[in-house]
Amino acid sequence: MTTTREKILSRLRENTSQQYEMPNLAALDAIRYADPVAEFIVKTTTTAGARLVELTEGETVGDCVKRIAGTGIVASALEGIEAQMNPDTVGDVRELMTAEVGVVEGRIGVAENACIWIPQQMREKAILFAVQHLVIVLSRTAIVNNMNEAYALISDDDSFRGKYPFGTFISGPSKTADIEGALVYGAQAARALTVILT
Amino acid sequence: MPCYVDALYPEVGIATLRLLRSLGLDVDYPERQTCCGQPMGNAGFEKMAVPLAKQFDELFAPYDYVVAPSVSCTAYVRHQHPRLTGSEGCQGTAGRVTDLVEFLHDVVKVTSLPAKFPHKVSIHNSCHGVRELGLSAPSERNVPRYNKIIDLLRLVEGCEPVEPERPDECCGFGGMFAVEEQAVSRQMGIDKLKRHIATGAEYVTGPDSSCLMHLRGIAEKEAMPIQFVHLAQILTAGIAE
Amino acid sequence: MSTKHSKAAAQYLRTPDVALHHDATFFNVRQKRDRMAQALPEWEQLREMADQIKRHTATHLDSYLEQFEREAKANGIHVHWAADADEYNSIVLDLLRTNGVKKVVKSKSMLTEECHLNSHLEAAGIDVVETDLGERILQMMALAPSHIVMPALHVHREDIGRCFREKIADYADIAKTYTGDATDENDPTLLTYIARMHLRRQFAEADCGMTGANFGIAETGEVVVCTNEGNADMSTSIPRLHIVSMGIEKLVPTVKSMGIFQRLLARCGTGQETTVYTSHFRGPRPGGEMHIVLVDNGRSSILGNAEHWQTLKCMRCGACMNTCPVYRRSAGYSYTYFIPGPIGINLGMLRDADEHYHNVSACSLCCSCDNVCPVKVDLSQQIYLWRQQLDALGHASTMKKTMSRAMALLFNRPGLYTGMLRLAPMVNWMPNAVLNAGLNPWAYGHKMMTFPKKSFHQWWKENKAGDAQNKAQD
Repeated sequence: MTTTREKILSRLRENTSQQYEMPNLAALDAIRYADPVAEFIVKTTTTAGARLVELTEGETVGDCVKRIAGTGIVASALEGIEAQMNPDTVGDVRELMTAEVGVVEGRIGVAENACIWIPQQMREKAILFAVQHLVIVLSRTAIVNNMNEAYALISDDDSFRGKYPFGTFISGPSKTADIEGALVYGAQAARALTVILT
Repeated sequence: MPCYVDALYPEVGIATLRLLRSLGLDVDYPERQTCCGQPMGNAGFEKMAVPLAKQFDELFAPYDYVVAPSVSCTAYVRHQHPRLTGSEGCQGTAGRVTDLVEFLHDVVKVTSLPAKFPHKVSIHNSCHGVRELGLSAPSERNVPRYNKIIDLLRLVEGCEPVEPERPDECCGFGGMFAVEEQAVSRQMGIDKLKRHIATGAEYVTGPDSSCLMHLRGIAEKEAMPIQFVHLAQILTAGIAE
Repeated sequence: MSTKHSKAAAQYLRTPDVALHHDATFFNVRQKRDRMAQALPEWEQLREMADQIKRHTATHLDSYLEQFEREAKANGIHVHWAADADEYNSIVLDLLRTNGVKKVVKSKSMLTEECHLNSHLEAAGIDVVETDLGERILQMMALAPSHIVMPALHVHREDIGRCFREKIADYADIAKTYTGDATDENDPTLLTYIARMHLRRQFAEADCGMTGANFGIAETGEVVVCTNEGNADMSTSIPRLHIVSMGIEKLVPTVKSMGIFQRLLARCGTGQETTVYTSHFRGPRPGGEMHIVLVDNGRSSILGNAEHWQTLKCMRCGACMNTCPVYRRSAGYSYTYFIPGPIGINLGMLRDADEHYHNVSACSLCCSCDNVCPVKVDLSQQIYLWRQQLDALGHASTMKKTMSRAMALLFNRPGLYTGMLRLAPMVNWMPNAVLNAGLNPWAYGHKMMTFPKKSFHQWWKENKAGDAQNKAQD
């Protein structure tokens, strides 16, 4: 008795006549910027609708987060951050929905579209989506020109994958224009995003 | 000579003939031609176009170039005839067919014309011209901007060519589409006319009489203030007969 | 001669203001796409590569699916295969029952609509909550989608507001927590906030999150889901069970090939550089379970269809609809298939030609769609070819057939043709009543043309003698 799997695979084989080659992706002349960091900052603060803070001399990320969070609950697993909640140890994942601020680390910044690649290093990825205001710490040396460069890093270097089998590119706070095409920031996930550029 | 130009707009054919002759070319008109088969093809009966495609292939075989003052017919011959005639006994005529604009711009490479047409004209970039014959850069693509129709009109004294907003959006003719999807076709025509009129031009001009026929029919019924003239007529305007 | 589409479109156009607003809204998205295209010098190279990668993948699909399954399983993902919609629906229902699921939160998936999953689950007593805002609005208002990416743009804010107030039990409590600037109770910002709070409660209460897959990467067995709202991520970060529904044609070979597709998807679909979230799911969450259901439902047969296999390249971006002048002026509900526009015409015919041939009339063959498609599906040529099939399927309009036959008769007999040309001017003398009656469909929108006394053919015959003389004198 052939399984569905076998039926599908054999039907695909029967129905394949002419085959096509894979193109050479390296031949792509993808966009590059004279100053990718500057481009990233512009895209992040305009089209992505996020805030960006460039860390100044003597200031720590922890200080920066305190300013952003005020009296709100902070969730983070990062060292140096004063957090009341930890996505590695939180009991019920839904508690993260009550956090005002979540702080995570980004590994790649993409100038063309303000995307930041965040591999999952914490047990509960809900911190990336459930908190009201997401804060991503990103080194300016981690900024590349375009998604092709970003995916090349992820593909070729396992250190860009996280401890857990999930990773995401995030560009700005969540948004929607589903009601009459009117753009609104703050859909189902974070309502605000701040990038701390170190 | 497109069947509808033959029947409805012979002045376009005459202008085309005069223009080509004025450039010193040896021009003939095989009298047994009728239609390229596009109306049947677009309606879903391309099998009925097969004998016409074969006839076309044979009838025009002896000529170096076949020129038509119509982009949709030219596109149909170029893209669909090879499939319809098959390769057996095929004379390859489809590879030698051009529309008037391509012929003047790319083959003859005309650099001056004695024509005079001191009017502002709004260019109707017929879909098949733009996207199947490459008469202008399609607005959807990232390719260097060009427009062969405008290049030719710039040779005409006093002529001011302009393009409407949505410069290559379809006018809604589409052959059988105009009668099968009447409401959408009419609305597309009205919208296109409004955009042409908004340029302030006195005339709408283009390389294809079928689009112009559709727009003119709507403009007259809706009393919309603009006139129509085929490109060939502008390019021969004011030249003594 | 009319089809369901032409009739529905005519009805829709009876309120031209509505139609033109719809036209302007979607043309605006097309223009945003244009700006994206112009901003990248490598734009056409991206399209060419995307086309080639999809052709390659589709014609090596068996081995890529095997690789995908192997990698996914190695990462602890359960992989299921469904031959058709019925098998897919059973697999999903089984999984939900086995896991005692009472409430499912769903992110957008055209595949689930294709298979009518929701009604299957609801009949079994499972609460299915759409979490994409547009889809949720449609679900609550029991309306069908009008577009595959922006499905509810035609719904007015007043109606949405009324629906929310009626259907969201804790509407009043939520409204009290709003601290924004909007004062009008139907302001989109306020309504989006209400929906946010309502949906976040659903995420918290759900037992399972279901997503589609924009792409599946064969090399690593991961699926990629792109959203602006973050609803797919909320759906899969709180409930422990994640079920992915993926059409088998969604595979791409490698992580690096995602660089091509991610850069094209949002630019083509919504005119943004990127969706807010591009999430890569490579395995189950700690303490959770992840299942992928691979769905065929006709795709493997389409591969063998020489004229239409290229529809398998489609990324479901919606660009073809946005550029289609017919879609913009007739809107989604004029089409019989749940996917409208150029790709919908083709997919509907592949799904059920007898049901969906009505949409084949909805095209003027302008070819704009071919030029916006990120993977270069030959949409207009495919529609042209479907038209050739209609007669054999028994769905050609009699009037078109008769007109075509009449033309063929005429055009195949040059003597008869030129004879008719001489008679044509008689039409000018026909009374308007005859010309404008229902018999003459051209007269619906056009003033009738005037036939000139002499055709070109006649002019040539009369003048060539003179020209021959001139030639002889040269």
